[in-house]
Amino acid sequence: MPVQGIFGTTVELLGKTLDLRAKRQTMISSNLANVETPGYTPTDVSFESQLKSALKGGAKDSGVTNPRHIPLKGRAASLERVQGDVVEVDTRTMGPDGNGVEMETEMGRLAENQIMYNASVQLLGKKFDELKQAIRGTL
Amino acid sequence: MDFFTSMDISASALAAERTRMNLISSNLANVNSTRTAEGGPYRRKDAVFTATPLKEAGSFGAALSRANDARSVQVTQVNEDPRPPRMQYEPGHPDADPNGYVAYPNINVVEEMADMITASRSYEANITATNAAKSMALKTLDLLR
Repeated sequence: MPVQGIFGTTVELLGKTLDLRAKRQTMISSNLANVETPGYTPTDVSFESQLKSALKGGAKDSGVTNPRHIPLKGRAASLERVQGDVVEVDTRTMGPDGNGVEMETEMGRLAENQIMYNASVQLLGKKFDELKQAIRGTL
Repeated sequence: MDFFTSMDISASALAAERTRMNLISSNLANVNSTRTAEGGPYRRKDAVFTATPLKEAGSFGAALSRANDARSVQVTQVNEDPRPPRMQYEPGHPDADPNGYVAYPNINVVEEMADMITASRSYEANITATNAAKSMALKTLDLLR
């Protein structure tokens, strides 16, 4: 097992997820703010597939420049590099003013993003609780 | 921090919608105003919304940052509706022209009411977005407990 520090990939992954979801929240706010701006195209941060491939391919691509080096953070290093891509959302309905924001879609995504963010925060909290428990040695 | 950016964006939208609401109120209040300081009847006013990049100019890091793709909204212009005034035959009116017609503002009350509903729905949506950002930030703070 590669040296992963006491936190391993879980904490790194959850931290990164929080980061990217916060970014998505900003994008959704931006789309909602511009719901009536003529010519505005909604944007989003796409990161799910990048995170997935960083988790899978992490072992071989862990930030070392020589195969004989010991990767310091294991998979966490490749997770750290995931930035998410800012993409334009392709919309089915575009009004005559060239605005592509669908308020219903954005509200749905807002709720989803919030729930998933809270889920990640709770998991992170649980993870830290477990660590604390392991350190204390008692329940 | 990202959540404050998000709240700033929503706040800009709230301000813009409020400006629009003020203009709608002004239009509704002046639906029968035949005199203005500039002369002639009142003209319908409308806000022009523009998506503006967040104000982070100056720092190199900010120029590179992806958060710049998120844009706030601003009212950049108050547009006067070019539609012609509504002419109504009222020979006894002090503002009547030689033919007895009075120029009334080019305002359609139904149109203004519809705009008002749109503005208040957008306002609500942005409040929801602010609350979401706030609760997410507070949830993160709970990790410290």
